[in-house]
Amino acid sequence: MLRLENVHAGYGPITALRGLDVSVAAGELVCLIGANGAGKSSTLRAVSGLLPPSRGRIVFDGREIQAETPATILRAGIAHCPEGRRVFPYLTVEENLAMGAYVRTDRSAVAADLAEVERHFPILAERRRQMAGTLSGGEQQMLAIARALMARPRLILFDEPSLGLAPTVVEMTFAIIADIRRRGTTVLMVEQNAYAALRMADRAYVMETGRIVLEGRAGDLLEDDHVRRAYLGG
Amino acid sequence: MAELLQHLLNGLVLGGTYALLGIGLTLIFGLMNVVNFAHGEFYALGAYVSFAALALAGSDFFVALLVAIVAGAALGWLCEVALLRPLRNESIDTTMLVMIGVGIAMQNAELLGWGGVAKSIPHPFPTAPLVLGPVAIAPLRLFVLVLAAGLIAAAWLLIQKTKLGRAMRATFQDRDTAALMGVSIGRIHAATFAFGSGLAAAAGALLGPIFLVYPSMGDLASLKAFSVVILGGLGNLPGATLGGLLLGIAEELGAGYISSGYRDAIGFVIIILVLLFRPSGLFARQERIA
Repeated sequence: MLRLENVHAGYGPITALRGLDVSVAAGELVCLIGANGAGKSSTLRAVSGLLPPSRGRIVFDGREIQAETPATILRAGIAHCPEGRRVFPYLTVEENLAMGAYVRTDRSAVAADLAEVERHFPILAERRRQMAGTLSGGEQQMLAIARALMARPRLILFDEPSLGLAPTVVEMTFAIIADIRRRGTTVLMVEQNAYAALRMADRAYVMETGRIVLEGRAGDLLEDDHVRRAYLGG
Repeated sequence: MAELLQHLLNGLVLGGTYALLGIGLTLIFGLMNVVNFAHGEFYALGAYVSFAALALAGSDFFVALLVAIVAGAALGWLCEVALLRPLRNESIDTTMLVMIGVGIAMQNAELLGWGGVAKSIPHPFPTAPLVLGPVAIAPLRLFVLVLAAGLIAAAWLLIQKTKLGRAMRATFQDRDTAALMGVSIGRIHAATFAFGSGLAAAAGALLGPIFLVYPSMGDLASLKAFSVVILGGLGNLPGATLGGLLLGIAEELGAGYISSGYRDAIGFVIIILVLLFRPSGLFARQERIA
């Protein structure tokens, strides 16, 4: 479904990605693990068009998207749920959800999806008219996820969904992501919490300094000595 | 008491147009981080376009206002696309210098085109004032006040209730995430600049018939617009509205009770006080761009 081939990208003189090869098949939950600054977020930003690659190809459903704008990539079916939730603090919950459906023109389907999302996350329906900035961290995470779903994506990119959340909320967030995948949406996730990520993923890639150094089935990586030492604390 | 009411009413008329000027500038400043020193020139442009439409083409007052708004918005759009877009990632100083250049060019184009002699815009309203209880107001001024209020309300509706307005607010709050939602940042910037410039032109077209129209009229308008933005807080739309009304009223009161020679000085004294004591603006700094 998604294939990155020899992707290079950077911010000015700083190189973030140095020849990355990653692939995600339809229906999979794939995660990227690695230390801070390894290039995990940059990988997602390259896919969603925020960080256009300087070299390499990104192919989504047989179509090259590395030179497309974020809007085109979103329309093609890839939504990006950014690190730190990034809800619009001075927009209401409802307006944030509407922003998620910004590129869609099928009004009645958007309304149906909104109802569906609110049924799924009742707390968002309750806080419909509240500014998103006044929500708790966990509620903001739900809003960020719901907002990404409003685009009706076939592939969702999650960047550090557990970052800065209380342990019970982290568990709930992972359960929501597992559920999204169960309903048929493909997931590519970046996660600091390597143990939790590997337990829920089908496959995983380990990144170091802008490259993939290891890849495999998530279960195998959980048993891998290097992974255990470097990322699982034992 | 009657005198005070009269000053307040005159202040509202002036303040309504200041608010229009300020809203345009605060949007551009807040959303695009561009210090638009040419803002007052769009005000002058509006006045000249309205003069041309009314005095030369003999059109209707409403049509003239509409033409002025469209002309201001079109030139604003052109400015953004041709000059500011290529400089999107440059520092705020660079775009500020570019806009100073635009202002100089526009002002001299007006001098070239219309000459330096001040012009007065004819208007179709009777000159006898309407007496409303203790106060009197010229029909033209009342008309200006009503239209300014209508335009402010329209601006507010656009920002708060439309998809474009929502995207503008989202872009202001978090540009990258707005882009992730599929918002074309370039289009939002062009729309914002056109919108702000159109409002400035509207202010010029409205005040033009009350005062005189001359090439350097934009200088003072720029200063007034910046004053309003400072009063209201950066990117704060209600703040700009209230700030504009406040500035207009303060100027009228100063002119009425102290000396009309101090009219413009009053505004700047207020600005200095605000910058000293409430540098983020008079109003609570909650929601910006809204």
